[in-house]
Amino acid sequence: MTKKQKGMPRGAVTLLITLAAIMFVACAIVATVLTRMNADPEEPATQLETSRQVTLRIACSPEKAELLAELAEQFGETKPKLADKRTVVVETFSLVPDEMVAQAESGAFQAVSPDSSLWLGEIDRNWYATSGAETGLVGDTARYMISPVVIAMWQDVATELGYPGKEIGWSDILQAAEEDGLQWSHPSTDSASGLLATLAIFYVGSGQTRDLSEAMVADPDTLAYVTAVEKSVKHYGEGELAILQRVQEQGPEFLDAFVVQEQLVIRHNLTQPNKLVAIYPAEGTLWEDHPLALLESVDRSDGERQAFQMFKTFLLSRAVQEQLLTEGYRPSDLELSLDGAGSPFGAENGVDPSRPYTTMQMPSSTVIKVVKDVWLYTKRHANVYLVVDTSGSMAGNKLDDTQDALRAFVDQMQSDWDRVGLITFASDVKEVMPLTQLGEGRGELLGSIAQLEAIGNTALSDGVALAVGRLGALDDSERINAIVVMTDGRENASRTRWQTLAQEITATQNGETPVLVFCIAYGRDADYRVLQAFAEAGGGFASEGDLETIQALYETLSTYF
Amino acid sequence: MAKTRIVFIVLIAFVAAIVGVSYYLARSGQEITLTKPEPLEVRIVCALPVEPFVQEAARRYNAESHAIEGQPIHVTVTPMDGLVAMGRWERGEMDPLPTVWIPDSRYLVELVNATFKEQRGRDIFLTGGEYRARPVAVSLFCWGIWQSRDDVLQAKYGTEVSWTQIHDAATAKGGWPELGGEPEWGYFKLVVPNPHKNVGGLMAMVAAAGEYYQRTDISVADVTDPEFQAWLGELMGAVTDFSSLGSYSVENLALFGYSMGDGGQLLESELLVNMAGIQTRWVEPMVIRYPQYITWFDFPYTIWMGDETTALEKNAALEFERYLLSPEIQQLAIAEGLRPANTEVPIDGADSLLVRWQEQGATTVVPRATSMRSPDRDVLLAFLRWFDLNVYEK
Repeated sequence: MTKKQKGMPRGAVTLLITLAAIMFVACAIVATVLTRMNADPEEPATQLETSRQVTLRIACSPEKAELLAELAEQFGETKPKLADKRTVVVETFSLVPDEMVAQAESGAFQAVSPDSSLWLGEIDRNWYATSGAETGLVGDTARYMISPVVIAMWQDVATELGYPGKEIGWSDILQAAEEDGLQWSHPSTDSASGLLATLAIFYVGSGQTRDLSEAMVADPDTLAYVTAVEKSVKHYGEGELAILQRVQEQGPEFLDAFVVQEQLVIRHNLTQPNKLVAIYPAEGTLWEDHPLALLESVDRSDGERQAFQMFKTFLLSRAVQEQLLTEGYRPSDLELSLDGAGSPFGAENGVDPSRPYTTMQMPSSTVIKVVKDVWLYTKRHANVYLVVDTSGSMAGNKLDDTQDALRAFVDQMQSDWDRVGLITFASDVKEVMPLTQLGEGRGELLGSIAQLEAIGNTALSDGVALAVGRLGALDDSERINAIVVMTDGRENASRTRWQTLAQEITATQNGETPVLVFCIAYGRDADYRVLQAFAEAGGGFASEGDLETIQALYETLSTYF
Repeated sequence: MAKTRIVFIVLIAFVAAIVGVSYYLARSGQEITLTKPEPLEVRIVCALPVEPFVQEAARRYNAESHAIEGQPIHVTVTPMDGLVAMGRWERGEMDPLPTVWIPDSRYLVELVNATFKEQRGRDIFLTGGEYRARPVAVSLFCWGIWQSRDDVLQAKYGTEVSWTQIHDAATAKGGWPELGGEPEWGYFKLVVPNPHKNVGGLMAMVAAAGEYYQRTDISVADVTDPEFQAWLGELMGAVTDFSSLGSYSVENLALFGYSMGDGGQLLESELLVNMAGIQTRWVEPMVIRYPQYITWFDFPYTIWMGDETTALEKNAALEFERYLLSPEIQQLAIAEGLRPANTEVPIDGADSLLVRWQEQGATTVVPRATSMRSPDRDVLLAFLRWFDLNVYEK
């Protein structure tokens, strides 16, 4: 008898493996079929993605855009999920507050974090006006950090004014500008620090610290004071962070003093050898309170609300609040001491955590609007020459985009009292339009821009020299005198030597009518070295642009006037 | 081989069964789920000053897995100012409908109840019986003033703080130097919450009217009196900011310090709970003074009695109310600077904020007996209308 083999025969084992494989394939088919049958046939793939995550887009003011982006990334690293297991993604992007107000109803973002709650009021006022709704667009709101508006000043300049023993105010700045040639700047009223500084100047001009009314704003004595203060402004600028960056690049020669939030003074002093001090104006100041607010439009979902709550809680968490403190903000967590260990608040960084002692009263929205309008009249007006390359290399898209950018520049110059002229250079130089007050010549200027044609060589220096000569002959010390130069090529047709011209521009800086020069190097072939020499000589700066950025560059430069 | 065949047939049958059952379920739209009883949601809309207390109590309650008739109870708390909630009730904007409303004061319940009584012909919030509104904690208005400013005011006006003195200080043309204070303090800055965001703002105006007329009952005629309006206008002119973030006034005062406000009539619990933060952030403390007429806030736990919620949901709400009033949970209220509603719970324990801040003027026994009477709807509306027309731009 043959002994019966134990276990299954080889054939049976093979059969079982085959069956297991069949079963696996069958299950896979079943799973696939079920998934397809349960999926909504009308739902595109991207919405399936959305069903797994909730994205909260937050528009934030430029000076903290980098910080908030970093915090959003840190928040993402915590793998935040809603109760229904959907992932929460927070995306932040930079937007100037005026644009936040303008775009709040567009649905492009679900939350905002401007530099001041002043703008939240503007958002709601627009909303009430357009929707007729009973409740505002601004929903749940939180403050996660604050910073007072101060006058940042180089330590030696402040010492000359009596710091730290003497209380320095806006009136001292005016006096120093008039008598000692102090060069200072504040941003335009499009940003909180610019608007708050302007309100403060109107308050001081009216002799009040509260109850600023339309009548007080329009009072001739107030206007005379504000005009005098504004005449001492070297130039305005695109925002407090940009001004600080210019100051860091160019040092004390760029400005003696400028208006920023306290945090930027700390930020500068933590990394730079030349120290700034924060002057808390004696007459009072205002705060940038950095609110985070959800916009409650009709399509706001519960998921977005929960995502907002989660990010808000994250920003208010102890770890983040400590991080904000080290960045130089005053955190909203009151348990964190400003003068404790590890805090950057102190005399070594030019700030005093016990200040400010008093604030000015926030006027009504009507008064704020009047202040913004009147400021366009009282601000230091400008004589600006646009010096534009129309050589052959500019033909095509380059010229088209430049024309768009020049139009945008003219549109952004809101004050009708500013003067703008247009000079083109190719093989020859042509004054297409002399300096013309925008209130009268805006249309004509736009028409001239539309007529530009590209042909010939690049007489860059001759073009700039003509503008310098015209401004010199005008000898208008009441206004900002400036040139905005743009070229895409290299000097090859001028009779003027660029080195000599740069010296001439430098020489104007110590006179009554210094000429400010801003330059745009358009494309890779532009002679950046020469442009930078002009900009340095003229106390401005040179920037590189291309087809994508040319318009934004011109718009940015318009904020300096 | 027969054994192999059996295994083969069993496997094929198994696969076929999986495919068949799955296909049937997919066609019929059913899901394979294990049934679990749905939790009973107790949705509470809660006034801002008691929200941290109720929120923490809800967190503990949910963690303890309470149930009623076999169904688990889950409590959610939504913070909302009493006046904002009143507007939403009346406009039918409460969605989803709350099971419970805890407003700042009982009179808000009465106002909303009156509106619903007109619509439904019966009380929707009860004042008697098992489901009646009961306070979960209480607090009151008191003056909160920075120490240095209080010293100056006491030297000028004596130890009693009143709206009359504050009006005098607020209208001093020369600001603090005229009152005997420092020039860098600027003018006297009054703190009053935005009445559209915080019921405390409205109640501060009612309290000011009480002292102006020297009585506790204010009428519409009092509010519309031109002389009173001029007086009130001067008082409100000393407020620095009625911005959209005006709901949490003591928090603002603590955050922005004396730069934004010298003092104001504020909720005792909020002052107490922020006192430590104020001392950490600023170089001087605040002091508490009790006013001539007391304005009480009783935070009533009010169960919605409409048909929109089931009897079981109402009973679940009642369960949580009992939990809130238990001595252990009432301690949480004390930790938030509130006075407990359960009279068996002592308020002079070591953890009491009233005891901790006694040196700053806090007292466990309120030194006044006269209370402001609850204003009626017309008086509130008259104040709001005056505020909108004269102070605040929407």
